[in-house]
Amino acid sequence: MTRTRWARFRSWVNATRRRSQMESEMDAELRFHMETYSDELIRSGVPREEAVRRAALEFGGAEKIKEECRDARGADLLESFLQDVHYGVRTLRKAPTFATIAILTLALGIGATTAMFSIVNAVLLRPLAYRQPDKLYVIREGIAEMAQFYPSFPANLNGFLRWQSQCHSFEQIAIVEPLEKILTGAGESQEIHGGRGSANLFEVLGAQPQLGRTFLADEDRPGSDHVVILTDSFWRDRFHADPSLIGRSITLDGEADVVVGILPPTFRFPKAAQLGPLTDFGSQLDFFKPLGLDPAKFSLLGEFDYAAIGRLKPGVSPQQALAELNIIQAQIAKDAKENIDLHAELWPLETQVVGPARRGLLLLLSGVAAMLLIVCANLASLLLARIPNRLRESAIRTALGASRSRLVRQMLTESILLSLLGGSLGIGLAYLSLHQLVRWGPADLPRLDEVRLDARVLGFAFLLSTMTAIVFGALPAWRVTRTEPHDALKSGAITATENRRTRRLRESLIGFEVAACTLLLIVAGLLTVSFVRLLAVDKGFSAERTLTVDVTLPRQSYPKAAQEQTFYDSVLREVQRLPGVSHAGWINKLPFQGQEEVNSIQASGRVTDALHAPLANFRFITPDYFQAAGIPLRQGRFTAESDAQRHVALISQSLADKVWPGENPVGKQFHQGGDDRPLTEVIGVVGDIRSVALDQPPLLMVYAQSGDVANDWSGWHASLVVRSTSEPLALASALRGAVRSVDSTVPIVHLRQMTEVVTESVSIRRFQMSLVALFAVLALALAAIGTYGVLAYSVEQRRPELGLRRALGAQVSDLRWMILRQGMAPVAIGLLCGVAASLVAGSLIRSLLFGVTASDPLTIASVAVVVLAIALLACYLPARRSMSVDPMVALRYE
Amino acid sequence: MNKALDLLQGTLDMLILKAVSLGPLHGYGVLLRIQQISKDRLEIQQGSLYPALYRLEHQGWITSEWGESENNRKAKFYRLTAAGKRRLQAESQKWNQMTDVIAGILGTKPEEV
Repeated sequence: MTRTRWARFRSWVNATRRRSQMESEMDAELRFHMETYSDELIRSGVPREEAVRRAALEFGGAEKIKEECRDARGADLLESFLQDVHYGVRTLRKAPTFATIAILTLALGIGATTAMFSIVNAVLLRPLAYRQPDKLYVIREGIAEMAQFYPSFPANLNGFLRWQSQCHSFEQIAIVEPLEKILTGAGESQEIHGGRGSANLFEVLGAQPQLGRTFLADEDRPGSDHVVILTDSFWRDRFHADPSLIGRSITLDGEADVVVGILPPTFRFPKAAQLGPLTDFGSQLDFFKPLGLDPAKFSLLGEFDYAAIGRLKPGVSPQQALAELNIIQAQIAKDAKENIDLHAELWPLETQVVGPARRGLLLLLSGVAAMLLIVCANLASLLLARIPNRLRESAIRTALGASRSRLVRQMLTESILLSLLGGSLGIGLAYLSLHQLVRWGPADLPRLDEVRLDARVLGFAFLLSTMTAIVFGALPAWRVTRTEPHDALKSGAITATENRRTRRLRESLIGFEVAACTLLLIVAGLLTVSFVRLLAVDKGFSAERTLTVDVTLPRQSYPKAAQEQTFYDSVLREVQRLPGVSHAGWINKLPFQGQEEVNSIQASGRVTDALHAPLANFRFITPDYFQAAGIPLRQGRFTAESDAQRHVALISQSLADKVWPGENPVGKQFHQGGDDRPLTEVIGVVGDIRSVALDQPPLLMVYAQSGDVANDWSGWHASLVVRSTSEPLALASALRGAVRSVDSTVPIVHLRQMTEVVTESVSIRRFQMSLVALFAVLALALAAIGTYGVLAYSVEQRRPELGLRRALGAQVSDLRWMILRQGMAPVAIGLLCGVAASLVAGSLIRSLLFGVTASDPLTIASVAVVVLAIALLACYLPARRSMSVDPMVALRYE
Repeated sequence: MNKALDLLQGTLDMLILKAVSLGPLHGYGVLLRIQQISKDRLEIQQGSLYPALYRLEHQGWITSEWGESENNRKAKFYRLTAAGKRRLQAESQKWNQMTDVIAGILGTKPEEV
């Protein structure tokens, strides 16, 4: 440290540490100066009193000089900050109502924004717990000829093997497919969900186990695959986090598998939708096993069942990788002797994971930010209202030697104090509401379970509080310091002129508030209309009074499809005997649970290229399924007992229209898959249903009989749909009993009402809609309070003027109209701006809307009516108060 | 020229350093010394001296000590430090160069251009 720097530091330390001592020394020094000077004047013959006066005058303003000395000494920052804080606390304590309102609204705004940000932080900002997640790509395959039905497929095994050996753009490629197992042994038998992947899966993801190891290279060969890796949550729930499990065996589907590793708690696997359609991973994974498949048993162009994830080599662009993959794809098509355009697709994994949620979350974050801005505008407006008082005070301070920058700093300190208090309260609020949000949030919002208040969120809250303070504090501070002290000190003069200026500012703030809350209300309205339209959409089935029971059959007890069928039939017999059951039927997959069993349809006798044949989702049902689910029969008949030995099916209306346009499809026959497969006869046509999601058009469907040997279906999963004659939940325990009486080892995965299945499929929309609506209503309330406050205050300030007007003969109704007009003018301007902004914002949220356009006139008109009505009320109350002004009292007021 | 000159912006620091370089002085003494050297041709607002003194001390160019004044009162005396001495030299040099240049410019006659 150089000499000067050391001196500076020492002087700063002294200044800070011995503040009072320095202060008294400074006083002594200045006093010495003045006294010595006045002594000298006295000696030269000036009378004592005159000498003292002249000494003080020639010295200059002592307080101002002291202030400058303090500044020069460098202790200024900390010291004056403490002074400002002290002063701020005192000011706020003198205005407890103002302080309370300010802190509470700030807590609301900052709390809501912080809570929203912590969700955005968890879902969008925190990277996947993989090594360099931006290098990870999902590889999918596409066949141009089938693009109209299915734009892309998951990968197939042989394609993967070729990519692995021939494609040099990737460090490695891994594949994984979903797998369910029944865990038996210790405790109750349980269906567990997991994946079966190539041995390098964890290497590609860059995930390390917390215990044990990942798979060895040769463990994905058939025979050597009796090992399993468990996820942390499953290990905790089922095995109480017992570390000695490593090396021990657990029984999956009756076979012993050695536990070789436990994944860390941070490990997450992408969900089905994130790996692309037709990939079917559950939301909660319990285990991973090696692939253990013999490629020789797989065809070159079939079984597109695997999610493929590749890690790009450093410096290789996805375009290069894609070009290389496509060369290999072309060769595969040639080798398979198929004249098709087989190509590959690369989807960045990270975008896949958070992509669909991004827009909705950013919308919520903008919504809450708009609300916070309204809070700021309200506070700025409140602070402006206090300006006339502050002006006199600041004028006195200026006259006493406070610099303008010091005044601004002092006022900003006050705002920062307010918003830090509000912010701390807001963090508490965010903490409490987060629990609710996470519990109430949609299960399929990615990584919602990882939401917490971490350092980043707290930092955000702090920054937000400070910025909020600057936003709402700067305007009033600027106003105050723009005033000449001598103007302010002339009492009375300020009220008129200052009021006109600040009133204009406050009116612009009102306009802004109204615009922001109009925008929020319109967006909330559009989302609500979308949601209502979505729920009102013709699902094609009826969800009321219907219960569903999802079961999984243990594979080892039901190795053959016929045995499964016996189980289904027996349960059905038990259920049909129950009182209150009108119809009951099995299906292998309920609506909204994704696509499954997708196969091509070839009308018999018609030569169609297999690749151009329409693809339909196959479902396997028992005869009463349609009545139970409320799907109407359009033509033909339902299946009957007598069909048991025949290959018959019902098809959906749109499939009938596609394959046999203008013909009666009943009695027609088709092949499922290639024409080497047995023919199935169409016996009936049923209505289309929305089978993927409410907002997606119906898929082509084929309903075959469960147990039909022509359709090699054995899924071990099925759902029983039961239509009840009364309250469906009353049947719940009887249904459980019926399943248990047939086989008590069969786990019931879910038992819920069909309406729940429907609402779960729209839970993300409900989440968005409810939150935006909440923000919009809060914004409306804040804006109404703001408008009321501004107008009420202005009426109060204008009492003398109003009194004068009345004394001069103005009618009560004229005055009321004048006040209303002045109050509503900024509201009207704000409303117009809000509507215009919503038209612009509309294009950003188009993907979140359903059945309504962003410029929906009805929504906009309703919002305008609501805003105008609330604003009228907020303006009418002060206007009415102005009528109670007695001219004499008002004139005497000042 | 009877009327006292207002001090040029930024020159007060230099004058204080010079005054103190001639021997330790208290604040009032600095004022007197400057007026004495300048033969009362400079007008310094008395109070403005102190922020400058505090600034110079904070920068380490002068240092202060409480002592006894000529009229037997406690007063704070300022003294030049080594760094202050170097600073004064540098400042005076700069000032002299500057006045030379300015004087040269102002003294230029039309035929010299």
